[in-house]
Amino acid sequence: MLKNIIYLLTLMVVLALPTQAQYMDVQGGNQVLSITTAAAGSEPTAVVNTSSNLRYRRQTFVITKVTVSTSCPGQNFTLKVYASTIQNNGGTAAPEVTLTNGMLATDFITGIPRFSNQWRTATLRYTASATFAQGNSAELGNEVHTVTYTLVAQ
Amino acid sequence: MNKYLLRIVLVIIGGTVPALAQTYGTDNHQVTVQVSTITMVSVDISSISMTITGAGVPAGQDQMTATNTSSKLRWGVNSSSRKITAQTNLATPLFALNLLAVSPTQGTAAAEATLSTTAQDIMLNIGRSLGECTLQYTGIALASQGTGTDSHTITFTVTTQ
Repeated sequence: MLKNIIYLLTLMVVLALPTQAQYMDVQGGNQVLSITTAAAGSEPTAVVNTSSNLRYRRQTFVITKVTVSTSCPGQNFTLKVYASTIQNNGGTAAPEVTLTNGMLATDFITGIPRFSNQWRTATLRYTASATFAQGNSAELGNEVHTVTYTLVAQ
Repeated sequence: MNKYLLRIVLVIIGGTVPALAQTYGTDNHQVTVQVSTITMVSVDISSISMTITGAGVPAGQDQMTATNTSSKLRWGVNSSSRKITAQTNLATPLFALNLLAVSPTQGTAAAEATLSTTAQDIMLNIGRSLGECTLQYTGIALASQGTGTDSHTITFTVTTQ
């Protein structure tokens, strides 16, 4: 009887592990990047935004990573994102990702260590740019990206 | 006992394998990119001088000219259907001053224009582009007009085509 109880408890613990500490959220809310100026002879000046963070934690048997993707129908301009200032040994930043409507989930942070329930934080550094040839929002409308971050096994 | 341990090991393995392909968490937010209407036009040389000397003009010919191509006009426009016009502030010049856009990298050069206080087309079809052209000024004087000096302030404007 005792064996069966221990067996059952072990089963419950193991099955609970993948979901026990699953947590990830984007802090800082929605962001707006406005491109307003250009230097003489140059394309419009790119704009950088670092006002939002990605917070995540994981306690598991596997090394995890964060991927990023976006949905932005009718995209005209360029938006890139990079994980800067990763705190608490929260993995390694992948190269800057160009966010393109309909893209496959792309590595954003890799090598997040296992067996740690610490909160990790990465600053989301967005860079928006546009060329003169790409037009403006008054004619084309604002471009709204729904950027999704996902914590998965690596 | 061994059977008991084996069962636990199997359970641990069985619980871990699905975890390898599992999504542990997800979140999203919206990022909006706004691009203002940006219109930029500039001339790289702020002042040029032309002197009509009559050198090389055949005897008996009334018209004398001088040409300058030392300055460039640069623009950046992210709106569609745009052109560039030019006009002078000098209402009653002694001599004619013509302007032609040469070798534009974008758009189409308009026909050579004699500058006046009314805006005249210099470049056409420059919408949504970053480009430049050489400004070719030609001063024209007739021998019968005598001597004198005209000082122009020339204004370039990007406008709807």
